[in-house]
Amino acid sequence: MKQKLQHIIVIIILTISGAAVFFNLKVMTIYKDIPGGISRYIISFGLQDTGSLNLVTAILYDYRAFDSMGESTVIFGAVSGIVLILSRKMLPVSSKGLSFIVKRTLGIMTPFIALFSIYVITHGHLTPGGGFQGGVILAAISIIFSIVYGSAFDYKRYSPQMKTVMETTGALMFISIGVLGVFFEGFFLDNLNFLGGKPGTLLSAGSIPIINLGIGLKVGAGLAIIFYSMIQKTFREEL
Amino acid sequence: MLNNFIFVFLFMLGLYAVIMKTNLIKMVIGLNIMEAAVFLWVIAFADVGKDVPIYHLGRVGENFNDPVPQALTLTGIVIGASTSALLLTLIIELNKFTDTIDRNKLKGLND
Repeated sequence: MKQKLQHIIVIIILTISGAAVFFNLKVMTIYKDIPGGISRYIISFGLQDTGSLNLVTAILYDYRAFDSMGESTVIFGAVSGIVLILSRKMLPVSSKGLSFIVKRTLGIMTPFIALFSIYVITHGHLTPGGGFQGGVILAAISIIFSIVYGSAFDYKRYSPQMKTVMETTGALMFISIGVLGVFFEGFFLDNLNFLGGKPGTLLSAGSIPIINLGIGLKVGAGLAIIFYSMIQKTFREEL
Repeated sequence: MLNNFIFVFLFMLGLYAVIMKTNLIKMVIGLNIMEAAVFLWVIAFADVGKDVPIYHLGRVGENFNDPVPQALTLTGIVIGASTSALLLTLIIELNKFTDTIDRNKLKGLND
């Protein structure tokens, strides 16, 4: 009875505060068109400034590249914390995997998943996608290995040491591009314009494809490490 | 109008889960619902044009959506995924020590 009264009071309070927020939001201006200033500038001059057809990628890896570096540092911090809390023992103890049919089917599909992730990473400046999105698809391969084939298979094929090397390579690639920007262009993480080709081709947009590759490696390896740490502990509890 | 209503509804739904649910994993789900509400709202601001902001296949800049909120949302999604993973890890560790993930059955926090 007391529980029910508590629920009703909380629902009433949340409804009242939600209504207050809603009627205050109605005062805000509604955008019918893109406002002037930074958005209009990026749409007008983003292609000539960076050479990247995808303007979201142009913002993430050129105008706000320093912010993206902080973001990848956040992923690194989360991975470090999770591994520090969960890892007690390096050898995985896991299930034996799913049935024969599932194993053969995923054996045929896995190369195409890898190809798709590499496509999304490398074409980040031409089509929707980029390092973060492609990196998540790359991490899906490791998750498929762990669930379908058992995590001993994942440990042999795609070991934690290799994932650590991949993540460090991605971070160093990003930072070294930034330092090269200091020497060649004058600012940290400035776009290396002398690398650029014709806009619309694969090797264009200066240093944006290289940063995409580094971010993709880093995110893929980081999420795979997170999943690996979690699954190792869970299955060990059950056995 | 409808954007604002859906934003407020989803946000308060997530806040209700965070306040009232005693299962810790459901509290994390509530936090994720609140995040998703904010992302939907910010993306709805950006929807002022007719086309995605990519110069491809003869698209012109006049019709584009606003690319800046989309880039900000991408940043937010990555940060949200990292914090959710860290919270779930802490819950796994808590379950190892206390054999419960119920907020009311935890000893040592209330007394």
